[in-house]
Amino acid sequence: MNARHSAVVDPGLQPERTTLAWSRTLMAFVTVAALFLRWGGEHGAVVVLLFGGAIAVALAIGATQRRRYTHRAQAMGQPTGQPKVGPAVALSAAVVLLGAAGLAVILI
Amino acid sequence: MADQEPHSPTTPPTTGRTGLSARLLGGGIEPDPRFTLANERTFLAWIRTALAFLAGGVALEAFAGDVFPTVVRTGLAITLLLVGMVIAAGATTRWIRVERAMRHSLPLPLPWIAPVLATGAAIATGIMLGVLIFR
Repeated sequence: MNARHSAVVDPGLQPERTTLAWSRTLMAFVTVAALFLRWGGEHGAVVVLLFGGAIAVALAIGATQRRRYTHRAQAMGQPTGQPKVGPAVALSAAVVLLGAAGLAVILI
Repeated sequence: MADQEPHSPTTPPTTGRTGLSARLLGGGIEPDPRFTLANERTFLAWIRTALAFLAGGVALEAFAGDVFPTVVRTGLAITLLLVGMVIAAGATTRWIRVERAMRHSLPLPLPWIAPVLATGAAIATGIMLGVLIFR
């Protein structure tokens, strides 16, 4: 990641660890997406939507990683952390929607 | 995390916070950013746990084939998907509750999704074992 952006270095590497945690989460979405493709034989072309949904979340995470890392790195050493609720809520909603879509495909 | 050195910020709170964050996090004093990041990583670990349940349900439906009777297989897949959804929703709730507790220097809340996780995993595994052994 880009060290030039972080004036203050956190010896605990918290921004980096947090970014890696997001990367692992991204890969988990890719895994789920790939598994959904295996439903194609039984459930037909609709699984492309499930696959696409999970991949879209992964892409959204990947596209914003650098910006969010910079934000975190800059927050180190500041008196305020400025946590953002948006990404957390969006991520949870994405998982719930993905699960609901999967349920719908199984049941319909 | 809560037992690390006490953090005594001098600047008071919440100015510049807008919209959703302001409404959900409320007042209190902004915690050390490291604690906020630790909370975020814990949240992500719960999200991955939820995704693991989703993946389990999807894989069961995709690969289990004739190992289980169709009703059992689909029922288990649905159960795993539902547990995954509950954990995902609970993860955000917990993230917010922990953030709030830190902002008011309160003890961190207990994770009620932990028993959901344990119960869900135990029931699913139990049913699978039972069917495999006794069918």
